[in-house]
Amino acid sequence: MFRFFSAMAVYVVLIFLSTWIFRHQHPGGAIAYTIAVLPAIPLLAVLVVVGLYLIEQTDEFEKTVTIQSMLWGIGGTLALSTVLGFLELYVSIPHLPRYFDFAIFWFVVGIATPIVRLRYR
Amino acid sequence: MNNRLKVLRAERNWSQADLAQKLEVSRQSVNAIETGKFDPSLPLAFRLAKLFGTTIEAIFLEEGPESG
Repeated sequence: MFRFFSAMAVYVVLIFLSTWIFRHQHPGGAIAYTIAVLPAIPLLAVLVVVGLYLIEQTDEFEKTVTIQSMLWGIGGTLALSTVLGFLELYVSIPHLPRYFDFAIFWFVVGIATPIVRLRYR
Repeated sequence: MNNRLKVLRAERNWSQADLAQKLEVSRQSVNAIETGKFDPSLPLAFRLAKLFGTTIEAIFLEEGPESG
């Protein structure tokens, strides 16, 4: 949990930093690409943190609950992303930026975890 | 998978939490295995058998026509 919240804290700092830099400094070229990607790094680190959790978790039941919840997260994100993609294509609904996929994934995981757990009671 | 965990626990007067502590797993894990909703891996089944001083076959019961 410490690693997860550390990565999220770094994310909050970097998202504010990147936004501030683009708003006030208007960087260009390779620097712009680098600064634009900065907030994604802690989010990718979260995936590594979850991977480490799955490796280190010795309780196979807890590991199963996490894996199944994450599968729901992947499925839910893909489903929503696919539906929204076609809606954006054909009926011109507002575009949802791709970085929202990460939040949608964890939102679905958050809903799925207690449901998956309940199935084993 | 059906099992005799509840009986074996009762014989030793262990709660689910006691068994969970001895196995170093969560109480939810013990409950899920006991209710037959989660099948443990072979290593965990061996740990259970060792803990109860018996064999895996004496704890876990095969389901279906072959079990009769």
